Amino acid sequence: MAKARAKTKAKTKAKTASDSPVAGAAQVPEPGYKWMNRSNQWDTRVKPGKHGLRLGDLNVGIYGEIPEQWQDQTRNPRGAIARKGVPPLGYAIRDKADVWADSSADLYEEAIQRKWAPATDVPWETVKPLAEPLERAICQVLTELCQYANCDIETISQWQHQMAYGYHEVKQYLATATFDAARMHEAFRKRALCNGGGLGLEGPGEVNRMILESRGGWSEAVTYLLLMRGTFTMTLLRYLEKHAQNAAEQSIYASALQAKARHMTYGLEHLHYSIAHDEERKMVLATLLFIGERIWAREMTDHVLREALCIVFAGGLERAPNAGYAEFRQMQRDFMRDYMSSCDWLGVQRDPAMMPEPMVEFVEAT
Amino acid sequence: MAKFPSKGWFDAVRKVFNGDEAYQGAGGGQCNCVSGMKIGSKIFILTFEGLECSEAQEGKDTDLEDVDFYLDMSLDDWRAMVKNIAENGGATLDYTLNTLDLDREEGLSTSRHGDQYREDLFFRYNQTFQFFFDASARIKTTY
Repeated sequence: MAKARAKTKAKTKAKTASDSPVAGAAQVPEPGYKWMNRSNQWDTRVKPGKHGLRLGDLNVGIYGEIPEQWQDQTRNPRGAIARKGVPPLGYAIRDKADVWADSSADLYEEAIQRKWAPATDVPWETVKPLAEPLERAICQVLTELCQYANCDIETISQWQHQMAYGYHEVKQYLATATFDAARMHEAFRKRALCNGGGLGLEGPGEVNRMILESRGGWSEAVTYLLLMRGTFTMTLLRYLEKHAQNAAEQSIYASALQAKARHMTYGLEHLHYSIAHDEERKMVLATLLFIGERIWAREMTDHVLREALCIVFAGGLERAPNAGYAEFRQMQRDFMRDYMSSCDWLGVQRDPAMMPEPMVEFVEAT
Repeated sequence: MAKFPSKGWFDAVRKVFNGDEAYQGAGGGQCNCVSGMKIGSKIFILTFEGLECSEAQEGKDTDLEDVDFYLDMSLDDWRAMVKNIAENGGATLDYTLNTLDLDREEGLSTSRHGDQYREDLFFRYNQTFQFFFDASARIKTTY
């Protein structure tokens, strides 16, 4: 009954509107267009340069004023006129020193321009059947790499919404970093599931937990996510590319490596910026590393990833205990060299005497 | 036919690289940097702009101070890499830029300014550089 009544009403309304177009138009309120005169800086004409119109090019006049602290608590875009009465959104990260890296805008452009699609860009047809132990080892490594990628996604996402909109370059770059991690997860999972294998055993996850549960601020998360885990992942990807079994794997690891290199550039530059604006952060960083290294060292002793990598590096089970293990040790030495070198660059020298044994073992051998 | 190493050789490779869109996808793409090639005692400077390698010039040792990073190997090692690429249509795993960098005590890629951001361009654009050298498989090289 109610349905029929509504139908009749709608019919009557439609008839009235179509019969009287003038009456319909009369319902439109008289426009005032007063908003048209409201702009903090009008007549802005940014021109594309030889590399196109890039995000960083837009930082002209007031639009390029990036304050040390962003007071606005709304989604007001930098340079726009704030609307009165908008309830605050409670952004927790409003200091430039807590998020900034000068390269953010360039890294964003780089990330969106240098794209790859695992579905079609990876030459999947080059993946051929492998001896089962080797396939199992590759799948085990990829299982743990999927976890790393998930950890990247979750960590960045849980901090990103807390960052003030005044630093949109950082927020935009981090959006691409999340997408990069999603794409890595996709590619690693596809390789694991395309050659008669499958996912293996879940990794210990202690470092993942340390990264995800760091609560002291974004810079603290960056310390664990990028300075520690990122340096390791980058080293790992480089060795996996070197020992790829086919062009598909080589393509996956090489593309992932480029994305990870961008993440590292942001991470190290941010920490450098943060320290440059507050010298005390060096001590905080040193303390964080002291804590983090102990958790890292515990996970280093996990035999699953080590054994799987030895097989992958040796190209099979037979040479895994000697040639594979030697290459594994070289990878760990490279990781420790790069990790300590980045710490030095940040002015936070690591003293091997204060580091846990599983890490020192590879420092001494450097 | 182009002799390695020479400006003519790099120009011939540039022509192949710039003319094939396949090198712009699959991890390649826009690349903006100036890189040096130290081939024994010879120096070459390559400029990458957008999707192209826009210029190759023979340089001198002091030019390496201004580049974002440079690749440093002996003439024999460079020849071995170029020959490997020519024989296989692209670098095999032992001769990729990544492997060559890993296998060298001092690395393959280096800089004189020590600016981490500029040095990192070697990794951030790695596939573009690999595509560039792989393109040399499509020219006739003499030594």
